[in-house]
Amino acid sequence: MACPYLAYRREDAEHSFDTDRAYCTAAETFVQPMRADICNDRHELDHTTDCEIYLEADE
Amino acid sequence: MSYETYLAGEPVIVTAALTGGVHGKEANPAIPETPAEIGAAAAAAEAAGASVVHLHARQDNGERAFPTERFQEVTDEVRSRTEDVIVQHSTGGTGASVETRAQPLRTDPPPEMASLDMGPLNRYDHLTSENTRATVDALHDEMQDRGIKPELELFNDGHINETHQLLERRDLDDPLCATLIFGSGTLTRPRPRNFLNAIDDLPEGTLFNTLGFGPHQLAFATMGILFGGHVRVGLEDNVYYERGEIAESNAQLVERVAGVAETLGRPVATTEQAREILGL
Ligand code: SF4
Repeated sequence: MACPYLAYRREDAEHSFDTDRAYCTAAETFVQPMRADICNDRHELDHTTDCEIYLEADE
Repeated sequence: MSYETYLAGEPVIVTAALTGGVHGKEANPAIPETPAEIGAAAAAAEAAGASVVHLHARQDNGERAFPTERFQEVTDEVRSRTEDVIVQHSTGGTGASVETRAQPLRTDPPPEMASLDMGPLNRYDHLTSENTRATVDALHDEMQDRGIKPELELFNDGHINETHQLLERRDLDDPLCATLIFGSGTLTRPRPRNFLNAIDDLPEGTLFNTLGFGPHQLAFATMGILFGGHVRVGLEDNVYYERGEIAESNAQLVERVAGVAETLGRPVATTEQAREILGL
Protein backbone atom coordinates (compact mmCIF):
# COMPACT_ATOMS: atom_id res chain seq x y z
CA MET A 1 0.00 0.00 0.00
CA ALA A 2 1.28 3.45 -0.87
CA CYS A 3 2.64 5.76 1.79
CA PRO A 4 -0.07 7.87 3.46
CA TYR A 5 2.04 10.98 2.91
CA LEU A 6 2.08 10.49 -0.87
CA ALA A 7 0.00 12.72 -3.12
CA TYR A 8 0.09 13.36 -6.87
CA ARG A 9 0.21 17.01 -7.90
CA ARG A 10 1.11 19.17 -10.85
CA GLU A 11 2.54 22.16 -9.07
CA ASP A 12 3.89 23.73 -5.94
CA ALA A 13 5.39 27.17 -5.31
CA GLU A 14 8.50 26.35 -7.35
CA HIS A 15 7.42 23.79 -9.94
CA SER A 16 4.79 23.28 -12.58
CA PHE A 17 4.52 20.04 -14.59
CA ASP A 18 2.44 18.71 -17.48
CA THR A 19 1.51 15.55 -15.57
CA ASP A 20 0.74 14.72 -11.95
CA ARG A 21 3.92 13.81 -10.10
CA ALA A 22 4.72 12.23 -6.77
CA TYR A 23 4.63 14.78 -3.96
CA CYS A 24 5.50 14.12 -0.32
CA THR A 25 3.16 15.91 2.05
CA ALA A 26 5.50 15.18 4.98
CA ALA A 27 8.54 16.83 3.37
CA GLU A 28 6.34 19.23 1.37
CA THR A 29 8.26 18.66 -1.83
CA PHE A 30 8.11 16.73 -5.08
CA VAL A 31 10.03 13.51 -4.66
CA GLN A 32 12.66 12.08 -6.95
CA PRO A 33 11.21 9.54 -9.41
CA MET A 34 13.27 6.77 -7.87
CA ARG A 35 11.99 7.59 -4.42
CA ALA A 36 8.46 7.50 -5.83
CA ASP A 37 8.93 3.74 -6.18
CA ILE A 38 9.48 3.60 -2.41
CA CYS A 39 6.42 5.81 -1.82
CA ASN A 40 4.34 3.36 -3.92
CA ASP A 41 5.89 0.19 -2.43
CA ARG A 42 6.88 -0.93 -5.93
CA HIS A 43 9.25 -3.79 -6.72
CA GLU A 44 10.90 -4.90 -3.49
CA LEU A 45 10.62 -1.47 -1.85
CA ASP A 46 8.62 -0.60 1.27
CA HIS A 47 8.05 2.93 2.56
CA THR A 48 7.77 1.73 6.17
CA THR A 49 11.38 0.52 6.18
CA ASP A 50 13.09 2.24 3.25
CA CYS A 51 12.15 5.93 3.59
CA GLU A 52 13.85 8.02 6.27
CA ILE A 53 11.28 10.79 5.78
CA TYR A 54 8.42 8.40 6.57
CA LEU A 55 10.25 6.96 9.56
CA GLU A 56 10.89 10.42 10.98
CA ALA A 57 7.36 11.68 10.29
CA ASP A 58 5.86 8.55 11.84
CA GLU A 59 7.76 8.86 15.15
CA MET B 1 45.15 3.23 -21.75
CA SER B 2 47.57 5.80 -20.49
CA TYR B 3 49.11 9.21 -21.01
CA GLU B 4 50.75 7.67 -24.09
CA THR B 5 47.28 7.16 -25.57
CA TYR B 6 46.68 10.85 -24.99
CA LEU B 7 49.96 11.78 -26.62
CA ALA B 8 49.08 9.58 -29.57
CA GLY B 9 45.96 11.70 -30.07
CA GLU B 10 43.59 8.76 -30.23
CA PRO B 11 39.89 9.60 -30.50
CA VAL B 12 37.73 10.05 -27.40
CA ILE B 13 34.37 8.32 -27.23
CA VAL B 14 31.73 10.55 -25.63
CA THR B 15 28.83 8.77 -23.97
CA ALA B 16 25.77 10.86 -23.13
CA ALA B 17 23.75 9.66 -20.14
CA LEU B 18 20.55 11.41 -21.09
CA THR B 19 18.02 10.79 -18.34
CA GLY B 20 18.76 8.19 -15.64
CA GLY B 21 16.15 7.04 -13.21
CA VAL B 22 16.94 8.80 -9.95
CA HIS B 23 16.13 12.50 -10.37
CA GLY B 24 13.86 14.00 -13.00
CA LYS B 25 12.31 17.27 -14.08
CA GLU B 26 11.94 18.33 -10.44
CA ALA B 27 15.75 18.70 -10.46
CA ASN B 28 16.16 20.12 -13.97
CA PRO B 29 13.24 20.69 -16.37
CA ALA B 30 15.55 19.88 -19.30
CA ILE B 31 15.84 16.22 -18.32
CA PRO B 32 14.14 14.22 -21.07
CA GLU B 33 11.58 11.77 -19.71
CA THR B 34 9.14 10.69 -22.41
CA PRO B 35 10.32 8.54 -25.34
CA ALA B 36 9.95 11.51 -27.70
CA GLU B 37 11.95 13.77 -25.40
CA ILE B 38 14.67 11.14 -25.01
CA GLY B 39 14.80 10.64 -28.78
CA ALA B 40 15.18 14.38 -29.37
CA ALA B 41 17.86 14.63 -26.68
CA ALA B 42 19.75 11.72 -28.27
CA ALA B 43 19.72 13.43 -31.66
CA ALA B 44 21.02 16.69 -30.19
CA ALA B 45 23.69 14.86 -28.18
CA GLU B 46 24.81 12.96 -31.28
CA ALA B 47 25.05 16.21 -33.24
CA ALA B 48 27.16 17.66 -30.41
CA GLY B 49 29.64 14.76 -30.51
CA ALA B 50 28.22 11.82 -28.55
CA SER B 51 28.62 8.45 -30.21
CA VAL B 52 26.99 6.42 -27.41
CA VAL B 53 23.71 7.20 -25.62
CA HIS B 54 23.05 5.57 -22.25
CA LEU B 55 19.31 5.13 -21.86
CA HIS B 56 16.79 4.54 -19.10
CA ALA B 57 13.04 4.44 -19.61
CA ARG B 58 10.48 6.31 -17.58
CA GLN B 59 6.74 6.63 -17.33
CA ASP B 60 5.25 9.90 -18.58
CA ASN B 61 5.35 11.29 -15.04
CA GLY B 62 9.10 10.65 -14.83
CA GLU B 63 8.91 7.53 -12.66
CA ARG B 64 11.10 4.55 -13.49
CA ALA B 65 9.93 2.09 -16.12
CA PHE B 66 11.57 -1.29 -16.72
CA PRO B 67 9.23 -3.14 -19.15
CA THR B 68 10.67 -4.14 -22.50
CA GLU B 69 7.73 -2.41 -24.22
CA ARG B 70 8.66 0.98 -22.76
CA PHE B 71 12.33 0.52 -23.61
CA GLN B 72 11.22 -0.42 -27.11
CA GLU B 73 9.36 2.90 -27.42
CA VAL B 74 12.44 4.76 -26.19
CA THR B 75 14.89 2.96 -28.43
CA ASP B 76 12.60 3.30 -31.46
CA GLU B 77 12.44 7.06 -30.91
CA VAL B 78 16.20 7.24 -30.50
CA ARG B 79 16.94 5.14 -33.57
CA SER B 80 14.47 7.04 -35.75
CA ARG B 81 15.84 10.45 -34.77
CA THR B 82 19.59 9.76 -34.76
CA GLU B 83 22.01 9.01 -37.60
CA ASP B 84 23.88 6.02 -36.27
CA VAL B 85 24.34 6.45 -32.54
CA ILE B 86 25.32 3.44 -30.38
CA VAL B 87 22.45 2.53 -28.09
CA GLN B 88 23.27 1.43 -24.55
CA HIS B 89 20.47 0.40 -22.20
CA SER B 90 20.72 0.53 -18.43
CA THR B 91 20.14 -2.59 -16.37
CA GLY B 92 20.43 -0.68 -13.10
CA GLY B 93 17.46 -0.74 -10.76
CA THR B 94 17.59 -0.25 -6.99
CA GLY B 95 15.02 -2.49 -5.36
CA ALA B 96 14.05 -4.24 -8.59
CA SER B 97 14.43 -7.97 -9.26
CA VAL B 98 16.91 -9.42 -11.73
CA GLU B 99 14.03 -10.43 -14.00
CA THR B 100 12.76 -6.83 -13.99
CA ARG B 101 16.23 -5.48 -14.66
CA ALA B 102 16.77 -7.85 -17.58
CA GLN B 103 13.73 -6.45 -19.42
CA PRO B 104 15.69 -3.65 -21.16
CA LEU B 105 17.89 -6.31 -22.81
CA ARG B 106 14.92 -7.78 -24.67
CA THR B 107 14.14 -5.05 -27.21
CA ASP B 108 14.18 -5.75 -30.93
CA PRO B 109 16.88 -5.15 -31.97
CA PRO B 110 18.69 -5.53 -28.68
CA PRO B 111 20.86 -2.61 -27.60
CA GLU B 112 24.47 -2.83 -28.80
CA MET B 113 25.62 -2.25 -25.23
CA ALA B 114 24.14 -2.42 -21.74
CA SER B 115 25.36 -1.30 -18.35
CA LEU B 116 26.32 -3.86 -15.74
CA ASP B 117 26.55 -2.54 -12.17
CA MET B 118 29.44 -4.34 -10.52
CA GLY B 119 28.46 -4.20 -6.86
CA PRO B 120 26.56 -2.51 -4.04
CA LEU B 121 25.64 1.17 -3.92
CA ASN B 122 23.93 2.88 -0.98
CA ARG B 123 20.84 4.96 -1.74
CA TYR B 124 19.20 7.41 0.67
CA ASP B 125 19.49 6.27 4.34
CA HIS B 126 17.93 2.83 4.31
CA LEU B 127 18.50 1.35 0.89
CA THR B 128 21.28 -0.41 -0.96
CA SER B 129 21.28 -1.31 -4.62
CA GLU B 130 22.71 -4.74 -3.96
CA ASN B 131 24.05 -5.95 -7.29
CA THR B 132 25.16 -9.31 -5.91
CA ARG B 133 27.58 -11.48 -7.88
CA ALA B 134 24.65 -13.70 -8.80
CA THR B 135 22.85 -10.66 -10.23
CA VAL B 136 25.95 -9.57 -12.15
CA ASP B 137 26.39 -13.07 -13.58
CA ALA B 138 22.73 -13.41 -14.56
CA LEU B 139 22.62 -10.04 -16.33
CA HIS B 140 25.99 -10.70 -17.97
CA ASP B 141 24.84 -14.08 -19.25
CA GLU B 142 21.72 -12.67 -20.83
CA MET B 143 23.78 -9.91 -22.46
CA GLN B 144 26.15 -12.54 -23.85
CA ASP B 145 23.26 -14.63 -25.18
CA ARG B 146 21.85 -11.61 -26.97
CA GLY B 147 25.19 -10.34 -28.34
CA ILE B 148 25.14 -7.21 -26.17
CA LYS B 149 28.46 -5.75 -25.02
CA PRO B 150 28.52 -5.04 -21.29
CA GLU B 151 29.66 -1.71 -19.97
CA LEU B 152 30.89 -2.48 -16.46
CA GLU B 153 29.97 0.27 -14.00
CA LEU B 154 32.52 0.46 -11.19
CA PHE B 155 31.13 2.54 -8.35
CA ASN B 156 34.27 2.22 -6.24
CA ASP B 157 37.64 0.49 -5.96
CA GLY B 158 36.12 -2.69 -4.55
CA HIS B 159 34.37 -3.08 -7.86
CA ILE B 160 37.76 -3.27 -9.57
CA ASN B 161 38.33 -6.45 -7.53
CA GLU B 162 34.87 -7.59 -8.60
CA THR B 163 35.86 -7.01 -12.23
CA HIS B 164 38.99 -9.15 -11.89
CA GLN B 165 36.85 -11.85 -10.27
CA LEU B 166 34.18 -11.64 -12.98
CA LEU B 167 36.91 -12.38 -15.53
CA GLU B 168 37.71 -15.56 -13.60
CA ARG B 169 34.05 -16.62 -13.74
CA ARG B 170 33.13 -15.50 -17.25
CA ASP B 171 34.72 -14.94 -20.68
CA LEU B 172 34.21 -11.36 -21.76
CA ASP B 173 35.16 -10.19 -25.23
CA ASP B 174 38.04 -7.75 -25.65
CA PRO B 175 38.23 -4.92 -25.14
CA LEU B 176 36.73 -4.91 -21.67
CA CYS B 177 34.74 -1.68 -21.23
CA ALA B 178 34.52 -0.20 -17.74
CA THR B 179 33.23 3.09 -16.40
CA LEU B 180 35.05 4.48 -13.37
CA ILE B 181 32.63 6.49 -11.28
CA PHE B 182 33.66 9.24 -8.86
CA GLY B 183 31.49 11.18 -6.45
CA SER B 184 30.03 11.13 -2.96
CA GLY B 185 28.59 8.31 -0.83
CA THR B 186 29.55 4.81 -1.96
CA LEU B 187 31.33 6.12 -5.05
CA THR B 188 35.11 6.42 -5.25
CA ARG B 189 36.14 9.63 -3.52
CA PRO B 190 36.73 12.12 -6.33
CA ARG B 191 40.43 12.80 -5.97
CA PRO B 192 43.06 12.64 -8.75
CA ARG B 193 45.24 10.06 -6.96
CA ASN B 194 42.25 7.74 -6.67
CA PHE B 195 41.67 8.10 -10.39
CA LEU B 196 45.33 7.26 -11.12
CA ASN B 197 45.23 4.20 -8.84
CA ALA B 198 42.00 3.03 -10.42
CA ILE B 199 43.30 3.15 -13.98
CA ASP B 200 46.45 1.30 -12.87
CA ASP B 201 44.41 -1.42 -11.18
CA LEU B 202 42.09 -2.22 -14.08
CA PRO B 203 42.65 -5.49 -15.93
CA GLU B 204 45.24 -5.15 -18.70
CA GLY B 205 43.80 -3.63 -21.85
CA THR B 206 40.60 -2.32 -20.26
CA LEU B 207 39.07 0.56 -22.12
CA PHE B 208 37.82 2.99 -19.48
CA ASN B 209 35.20 5.66 -19.38
CA THR B 210 35.45 8.40 -16.74
CA LEU B 211 32.35 9.58 -14.95
CA GLY B 212 32.39 12.27 -12.27
CA PHE B 213 29.09 12.96 -10.55
CA GLY B 214 27.78 16.50 -10.07
CA PRO B 215 30.50 19.13 -9.79
CA HIS B 216 33.18 16.54 -10.63
CA GLN B 217 31.85 15.82 -14.13
CA LEU B 218 34.07 18.18 -16.11
CA ALA B 219 37.22 17.74 -14.01
CA PHE B 220 37.11 13.94 -14.18
CA ALA B 221 36.19 13.94 -17.85
CA THR B 222 39.27 16.07 -18.46
CA MET B 223 41.43 13.60 -16.50
CA GLY B 224 39.95 10.78 -18.52
CA ILE B 225 40.89 12.56 -21.73
CA LEU B 226 44.44 13.23 -20.49
CA PHE B 227 45.02 9.65 -19.43
CA GLY B 228 43.81 7.98 -22.57
CA GLY B 229 40.29 7.14 -21.46
CA HIS B 230 36.84 8.02 -22.71
CA VAL B 231 34.15 10.12 -21.08
CA ARG B 232 30.55 10.03 -19.98
CA VAL B 233 28.59 13.21 -19.38
CA GLY B 234 24.91 14.08 -19.24
CA LEU B 235 22.00 15.12 -17.09
CA GLU B 236 21.70 11.68 -15.47
CA ASP B 237 24.93 12.38 -13.63
CA ASN B 238 25.00 16.16 -13.34
CA VAL B 239 22.17 18.67 -13.71
CA TYR B 240 24.40 21.76 -13.58
CA TYR B 241 26.51 23.49 -16.20
CA GLU B 242 28.43 25.52 -13.64
CA ARG B 243 28.06 26.05 -9.92
CA GLY B 244 24.59 27.47 -9.41
CA GLU B 245 23.71 27.37 -13.12
CA ILE B 246 21.38 24.62 -14.31
CA ALA B 247 22.46 22.94 -17.56
CA GLU B 248 20.27 23.76 -20.56
CA SER B 249 20.47 20.32 -22.14
CA ASN B 250 22.46 17.13 -22.49
CA ALA B 251 23.85 18.49 -25.75
CA GLN B 252 25.30 21.48 -23.92
CA LEU B 253 27.29 19.15 -21.64
CA VAL B 254 28.41 17.00 -24.59
CA GLU B 255 29.48 20.03 -26.58
CA ARG B 256 31.58 21.33 -23.71
CA VAL B 257 33.46 18.08 -23.15
CA ALA B 258 33.94 17.62 -26.89
CA GLY B 259 35.53 21.07 -26.94
CA VAL B 260 37.86 20.09 -24.08
CA ALA B 261 38.94 16.93 -25.93
CA GLU B 262 39.61 18.83 -29.15
CA THR B 263 41.47 21.58 -27.29
CA LEU B 264 43.67 18.99 -25.60
CA GLY B 265 44.46 17.36 -28.93
CA ARG B 266 42.24 14.29 -28.95
CA PRO B 267 39.57 14.28 -31.65
CA VAL B 268 36.05 13.24 -30.72
CA ALA B 269 35.35 9.76 -32.08
CA THR B 270 32.82 9.41 -34.85
CA THR B 271 30.27 6.68 -34.30
CA GLU B 272 32.10 4.51 -36.80
CA GLN B 273 35.39 4.98 -34.92
CA ALA B 274 33.62 4.33 -31.61
CA ARG B 275 32.24 1.02 -32.90
CA GLU B 276 35.71 -0.02 -33.96
CA ILE B 277 37.32 1.00 -30.65
CA LEU B 278 34.60 -0.71 -28.62
CA GLY B 279 34.78 -3.86 -30.72
CA LEU B 280 31.10 -3.79 -31.62
S1 SF4 C 1 9.01 10.46 0.50
FE1 SF4 C 1 8.74 8.96 2.17
S2 SF4 C 1 7.31 9.98 3.58
FE2 SF4 C 1 7.19 11.07 1.65
S3 SF4 C 1 5.50 10.10 0.52
FE3 SF4 C 1 7.38 9.06 -0.10
S4 SF4 C 1 7.57 7.29 1.29
FE4 SF4 C 1 6.10 8.71 2.20
